[in-house]
Amino acid sequence: MTDRDMIVCRCEEVTYGELTDTAEKFGCTSRELKLRTRAGMGYCGGRTCRSLVDAIALAATERDVTQITLKYQPPVRPVHFGDLGVITND
Amino acid sequence: MTERILEHPVLGSLEAGKTVTFTFNGLEYEGREGEPIAAALLAAGVRTLRHHEESGKPRGIYCNIGHCFECRVEVDGIQGVRACLTPVRDGMAVRESGVLPSPVRDWRKNNA
Amino acid sequence: MRDLIIIGSGPAGLTAAITAAEHGLDVLVLDEYHKPGGRLLGQLYEEPGGTWWNGIEESRKLAERAGVLGLDIRLGKSVHNIEQVNSSWLVHADCETFEAKSLLLATGAAEAPVAIPGWTLPGVMSVGAAQVMTNVHRVKPGKRGVIIGVNVLSSAIAMELKIADIEVAAIALPKTNQVNGSASNPTEVMNALLHVSHMAPSLFVKMGSKLMKNDFMKKMGITFYPKNGVRMWDIPVMLRKAVIRIEGTDQVEGVTLATVTADGKVIPGTEEVIGCDFVCIAGGLYPLAELAALTGCPFYHINELGGFVPLHSQDMRTPLDGLYVAGNITGIEGAKVAMSQGKTAALSIAKDLGQDIADTSLSEAVRQISSTRTDAHIQFHPEVDAGRRKLQEYWDLHDAEKRKVMV
Repeated sequence: MTDRDMIVCRCEEVTYGELTDTAEKFGCTSRELKLRTRAGMGYCGGRTCRSLVDAIALAATERDVTQITLKYQPPVRPVHFGDLGVITND
Repeated sequence: MTERILEHPVLGSLEAGKTVTFTFNGLEYEGREGEPIAAALLAAGVRTLRHHEESGKPRGIYCNIGHCFECRVEVDGIQGVRACLTPVRDGMAVRESGVLPSPVRDWRKNNA
Repeated sequence: MRDLIIIGSGPAGLTAAITAAEHGLDVLVLDEYHKPGGRLLGQLYEEPGGTWWNGIEESRKLAERAGVLGLDIRLGKSVHNIEQVNSSWLVHADCETFEAKSLLLATGAAEAPVAIPGWTLPGVMSVGAAQVMTNVHRVKPGKRGVIIGVNVLSSAIAMELKIADIEVAAIALPKTNQVNGSASNPTEVMNALLHVSHMAPSLFVKMGSKLMKNDFMKKMGITFYPKNGVRMWDIPVMLRKAVIRIEGTDQVEGVTLATVTADGKVIPGTEEVIGCDFVCIAGGLYPLAELAALTGCPFYHINELGGFVPLHSQDMRTPLDGLYVAGNITGIEGAKVAMSQGKTAALSIAKDLGQDIADTSLSEAVRQISSTRTDAHIQFHPEVDAGRRKLQEYWDLHDAEKRKVMV
């Protein structure tokens, strides 16, 4: 296995080659890199690969220390549809 | 094959515990009551907990504390259960969910 | 309505829960793990005095005290969203929603990886995973392992594996690529290790750490660092060899190592394969602050604290009413610092809820956080104090802005 074939995002199986090519072609931020490749958009919500995706994007862009590079959105854990919207009076 | 650490120089002897029987992909395994599915399976030498939904490549535990979801399995019919933080119970049926169809990707190969 | 919900039952969360209950607050603790203790559970190391810091024992003590106080601790509950509605906090966990006047986030840290070809094979796990398997579940992660990533956490866990009679064939660097950064640079890794040289004196005596005060000598040190590593607790620590690939078809069978230059470039023709049945990935820890990020709380990236941290004051308040933080969510440090932060947070919460908390006991608790930090056996980042000061400056700025608006 070469570096290019190495998986970076384990959930969506996005490779190092795909990410570095995309970053080079578009000079993009982490967020754009994520949207273009699906890296960080899988089951774990990017908890595992976010620092790696960030590192690739930061080669082309400057870090803004006040902005979380890959935004978090609810739910931060996968939820079964059946479990959403249930109101319990605890 | 891995093994249990029965004696530990600092933590002492492993406490005697109740043994439970469960199945993984239809095969019967024994575990210690209260331990997570992933620990019971690893103690039995099972590292592969699932195959990636698209590529079918084998996967096992990665973070072991519930963050990465790499160990997700189907437990008694419920999908997406983390084997690393779900304790084994007697009679539990654990299986992997398997590879899913990817019609869009397959279509793109020849059309896009 | 409850006074307080605490998310996370690690050292910070449990200590906060105990302190809050002792001050008469009605507290609920939620954790997604099936045991209380969080990352504390796996910890096992010998302290300078020769006594052992046993995380399982420490967690049991905290849980026991919580039990005596009748605390409501619910395990196996994954929180997927939190929101502030009117003046209370709603916490959504699986299919339940809980409500409280205040919310303390004590969600700890997550592990950052380094990426190596083959790292998705079964048998490759984060170094923390191997620690939990070994010390908490008492199952060997394998017979013979290789740890990729040389840092404080991986060295400590290598020793724990060794104590449990698990062979660690090597601790080596990850190969250089765009994602592995300074973790793959031998010179930078050695600089970082010199800050923790008291952990493994023999290693650094061999390297002649006394000579390493200036950059030239550091460069010489890494240039002449033995290719087969220096043994620490009988485990070869390799700063001039990197893992370039993890080998195996269905699971880990070995790793391919190669000799690297002082700045991490692979020297062609030096590849060798060593056999192992498990591999640990050690890229360090970062604050797990995702729930705080959902609230709109301001964040700052501070390297010395391990990444993005929610803005907070020394007494663990965030700029949002009723929202507090404690433990590794505020920056990567040891369990004892987390405990003193938990205590401080609980006192701030009790005070804000109108309990009679003397200013002096709160300032004493804040002072204790710093003294615990100063006394800590290991620092995850040598400049953690500087990181804390940076955050304090951001807090002061924020506070000044707020005052302006109020005037």
